[in-house]
Amino acid sequence: MNLVKVDIADLKITADPDAVLVTYALGSCIAVIVYDPVRKAGGMIHYMLPLSETSPEKAKERPAMFADTGIPLLFHGMYEIGCKKPDLVVKVAGGGALYDDGGRFAIGQRNYTILRKMFWKVGVMIAAEDVGGAKSRTARLFLPGGRCTISSLGEEIEL
Amino acid sequence: MIAKSELLASIKKLPTFSTTVIRLSSVLNDPDASVGEFEAIILPDVALTANLLRIANSAFFALPRRIGSVREAITLLGINRVYELGAMAAVEAVVPARLPGYGIDAAAYWCHSVAVGVLSERLTRDKKLATPALTFTAGLMHDIGKLVISEYLAKVQAALQDEMIGRNKSLIESEREVLGVDHGEIGADIARAWNLPEEVALVAGAHHDPDGVNGGKGDIMVDLVHIADCLAHSLGFGTDIGELHRTLRVAAMERLELKAADLERVASRCIAEIEGLAQFNRAPAQGGPA
Repeated sequence: MNLVKVDIADLKITADPDAVLVTYALGSCIAVIVYDPVRKAGGMIHYMLPLSETSPEKAKERPAMFADTGIPLLFHGMYEIGCKKPDLVVKVAGGGALYDDGGRFAIGQRNYTILRKMFWKVGVMIAAEDVGGAKSRTARLFLPGGRCTISSLGEEIEL
Repeated sequence: MIAKSELLASIKKLPTFSTTVIRLSSVLNDPDASVGEFEAIILPDVALTANLLRIANSAFFALPRRIGSVREAITLLGINRVYELGAMAAVEAVVPARLPGYGIDAAAYWCHSVAVGVLSERLTRDKKLATPALTFTAGLMHDIGKLVISEYLAKVQAALQDEMIGRNKSLIESEREVLGVDHGEIGADIARAWNLPEEVALVAGAHHDPDGVNGGKGDIMVDLVHIADCLAHSLGFGTDIGELHRTLRVAAMERLELKAADLERVASRCIAEIEGLAQFNRAPAQGGPA
């Protein structure tokens, strides 16, 4: 098993049959997990914020920090290794929220809203998701079969 | 529930906090103290000096060149900043390998502490409001109470989960329910036991309840650290067993005139600095209990 760690504001793509893609501590951040059962390849992004207009210079340095600059890179990276869009199974995890006494701090909600908008525009369907709540999540994608798990407070679910 | 006296006794069981930094704390508050005096306290402590210089050369402190002496550090950064470097090196030395009650290791504790230190200081960078001296240290040390509470919390995990998950209570409220005390209160006690500056004790004690400070008027440093703490947890810097069971007090954001967009901008700009400073712990940064 080769653990491929996806850091915050980072994305990884692999077709290594022994790879397990993993990202930790998804609070309000979101992981998009992509798997191609034909090519037996997987990809994962752990983005932090919705829009690159927040900090265009940082978006250049680390495009995976933002949904709008990072997610297209993830998909293009999959296409570059031979994946086809209709084959991709797309799953989503994260977007959690603190208790907020005034609804001012909705980074997780904003992260999720922009994702839905982007996917709707380009016709990407979400196969499964585990989002929202006061949770911190760890997401794993196991190659070559594409099993995806989400764990939080010691409990693990299959996504 | 734990007796307060037992907790206070536990503070004494923590690894000894740097006597050098305790002495620096007293000089910091003495208007007559000279740069030479300050330097003379640090220099005999070879380990602290080495760590202080290592940290000083990280990206966060943005020095124009690599520095190799305490005198240079004082000249370029000033006494307050060098105190903060010393305090940081000293805290790093007392964090245990694991904090079982919080489900984290030293790396995750350190990652969170550093993230809050950096974010507290940077939150109002684009605003007119000046960040008070020692905000970084107060942010870095806001959770020192966890060093003592952890072992007690480890014994009551089921009850704690019951409060948090079953009753949707925040981590700090849940600690109070099951232990009768929380990591903020005990953190303030530790800060005072270590003779740290009073601001550090105030912030540690009030970082989950910023609205109760100064008879409801609030305090800039407490507000900064409160918001930075929420932001750091939201972004997953050093996630612990409390996950996102924390309450953001919106009044703190209003007092500092901060909006969600400000927080996002600050977060995007600080991530590299946080990662750089987090490396000063032995183990790799990030990672949580899940």
